[in-house]
Amino acid sequence: MMEFDSTHLWMHFWAIATAATVSAGCALVGSFLVVRRLSLLGDAISHAVLPGIVLAVLAGGRPGGAGVFLGAVVAALVTVWLTNLLGTHAGLAEDAGAGVAFTTLFAIGVVLVSALASRVDIDPGCVLYGILELVPFDTVPIFGLEVPRALLAAATVLVVLVVAAALCWKELVFTAFDPAAARAAGLPVGLVSAGLLVATSLATVASFEAVGAILVVAMLAVPAAAAELLVRRFHRMLVVAVALGVAGSIVGYLAAWRFNTNAAGMIAVVLGIEYLLAALLAPGDGIVARVVSRESLRWRVACEDRLASLWRAEEGDAAALAPRTLLDRLAQARLVFGGRIVPGAAGGLTDIGREEARVIVRSHRLWEAWLGRHVALPLDHLHPPAEWIEHHLGAEVRGRIAADLEGDEGDPHGRDIPPEGFPSRPADAPTQ
Amino acid sequence: MILAVADMAFPAGWIPPYNTLVVAAGVASVGFAAGVVGCFAVLRRRALAGDAAAHATLLGVGLAFLLGGGRRDLPLLLGGALSTAIAALLALVLIGRWTRTRDDAATAIVLGVSFGAGITLLSGISARGIPGSAGLEQFLLGHTAGLTAADAMILGALSLLTVALVALFLKESTLVAFDPLFAAASGWPVTLIDYALVVLVAVMVVVGLPAAGAVLVTALVVIPPVTARQWTDSVGVMLPLAGLFGLVAALSGVAVSSAVPRMPTGPLVVIAASILLTISLLIAPRRGGLARWLRARRTVAAWAEGRLLEVALRLEVQGPFTREQLLAKAPGAAADSAFKRLVRSAAIEPVVTRAGTHAWRLAVWGRELAAERSRRLAAWTEVLEAAREDARGHLTIDVPSPEAILGAARMKAIRESAAAARSASGPA
Repeated sequence: MMEFDSTHLWMHFWAIATAATVSAGCALVGSFLVVRRLSLLGDAISHAVLPGIVLAVLAGGRPGGAGVFLGAVVAALVTVWLTNLLGTHAGLAEDAGAGVAFTTLFAIGVVLVSALASRVDIDPGCVLYGILELVPFDTVPIFGLEVPRALLAAATVLVVLVVAAALCWKELVFTAFDPAAARAAGLPVGLVSAGLLVATSLATVASFEAVGAILVVAMLAVPAAAAELLVRRFHRMLVVAVALGVAGSIVGYLAAWRFNTNAAGMIAVVLGIEYLLAALLAPGDGIVARVVSRESLRWRVACEDRLASLWRAEEGDAAALAPRTLLDRLAQARLVFGGRIVPGAAGGLTDIGREEARVIVRSHRLWEAWLGRHVALPLDHLHPPAEWIEHHLGAEVRGRIAADLEGDEGDPHGRDIPPEGFPSRPADAPTQ
Repeated sequence: MILAVADMAFPAGWIPPYNTLVVAAGVASVGFAAGVVGCFAVLRRRALAGDAAAHATLLGVGLAFLLGGGRRDLPLLLGGALSTAIAALLALVLIGRWTRTRDDAATAIVLGVSFGAGITLLSGISARGIPGSAGLEQFLLGHTAGLTAADAMILGALSLLTVALVALFLKESTLVAFDPLFAAASGWPVTLIDYALVVLVAVMVVVGLPAAGAVLVTALVVIPPVTARQWTDSVGVMLPLAGLFGLVAALSGVAVSSAVPRMPTGPLVVIAASILLTISLLIAPRRGGLARWLRARRTVAAWAEGRLLEVALRLEVQGPFTREQLLAKAPGAAADSAFKRLVRSAAIEPVVTRAGTHAWRLAVWGRELAAERSRRLAAWTEVLEAAREDARGHLTIDVPSPEAILGAARMKAIRESAAAARSASGPA
């Protein structure tokens, strides 16, 4: 656990640099996993590498060394092989197969760690959530600078991943988005998938020491999924995912420092907040954007229905309905405020309001007339579709329908279709 | 196996104390219920949703600990765990409904973030040295040693309650698990039943928490049903069988972890369950590896016998034949033992010749077998010939080449065997 102490700023710098590097690598690989619907591969692998690491350490490898890397990658491949084996030979669904394979391997790893606690310097807790705070204490000299071993490993993996992604970019993207077409085009799809698997193992193992088994899952999936919500093009998604991952690591580490708690856990929380914000605020189809567009449509429809109802009342064949629902009342208030309805209890239409209302009623009756002529619906089935479409017909469509009706002046209910009106809104009218 | 484990854990003549017995009984019923409830999680492919819920329980444990003012009261902590587990499932549903994120990524997000939040909270609590917080990390990997008899009774009662619920709604759950479309068309509230099952899985995950821990409790829900599935095709058998496997796994884990100091229970439970699964995968009737290996061997043997009979029928035209002649015309790894079986079943009988060399001929029964076999062969050849004409009628340029479907290697093998068959039957 960390204390706020400026003499250890270098330590914090190294820890943050490690977290950011690890996160960038994970976000890079994770983007491919997310678009290929393989996000849980990270989950399976990160659990399953534990026995590989323990056995490699037991065989004399140093934590963070090449031998341990190899052991972990082998363990990862064994998990995937086991999952496939359970799927093809025992007929297990993929989720159950993965659930069986990785929990078992992880359990074996934990038992090994507990049983060999005296010989293997691994703490079962840190296996799960890492010890980012201790990363700066295990260093190797690089050009006279004491660089944490974990950072070195993560940076090496990151470079390898970036180079591999750049070299095989076309193949990776083609396989990710249309594996069948890629296979038909003669790409070695199986090889590319195996490569992605090895890349995931590398990213997972590099992250393992810093953030632990389960938070790797968050680092792999969360920034990529958030980026997918924010942008549409894959290359932009990669950049955004890496940026989100790095930002989340920095903010998470600082928050953990401030609140004196586990850094890896806090990074996962910050990444989760990033995803939440992305889901809420994504342009176009974010939750807020969709709620706003839906509510503004509801609001416009309420206002227009109110205007049309008043117009019909002026036409003389029905009394205007009093606003009943809250939305109706709000619409009424807004129309009064916008100068469409005369204030007061009587509340007739103003000139501008009358112009707008006439266009809506015209749309309504044109559609009824058109349906009556071409679709031969019974009379009492004409109103509902017209009530819906009156809010969406533009001037051009209205013109075409009117031309199609060839001067037929009335709607099927025998009422006049009001003229288009020109100009539909006087130049001195207040804007909405 | 359980007996062996118990022998290891408890030396002879040692009577376990009351508390140990009650805890064992409680954990046994937890294992049983987890297996039963897990069947539907596995059949409905909700295994990973259960995993996400399990990882979220840690956050609930921490929150309940803080809200309860630092009391380590098991029902309180489990209540907190259940509320975050259900919140996690809700988050999964909401992500699926409101965003473009797909199922797998949603599961990974909920799992990773909620676990991170739980770790953050628990680390924060332990860094501040709040009294009573020392045992909270036991929920990570499970540790039954700290359970009191009262705790175990609560766990047992909850388990039996979930089992009773499953038994009560067995028909509905089975229908929804196997044919949700039919269930919906018949007017069953499929979504409601589905959600109820998922919540039941969440309850089970929480109840299993003290025994197996947040990280591995899914295994208690997933592995026993998968094991039971190897033995049966019927839900009515699968449920109790899964319960039994879960019970054995849970008890073994508890027994070993109480015998070995500082060993968390969860991993041991999982390993016990996996051992049961491995054994089942090997020896289960019909689906097991052994059964399938035997079946494959029987097929190969029957095929070799038929091939020998066919060759013998052809050779016999020139009188009795030797074993070497026969085997030379019908080579293969299984030919030798097939020959022995044919002799033993008296389909081939020895002929004593003047030279004293061993010669053989077909017995009446063997000749009938061989004749029947060639009749069937001819009939199948007719069918396949007809299919060839059919294929010619259907072959357009859109039909993919057989290499694309069977693979180049398989196609090459077919071509070679066809060529070999032509050259073998050509002169005759």
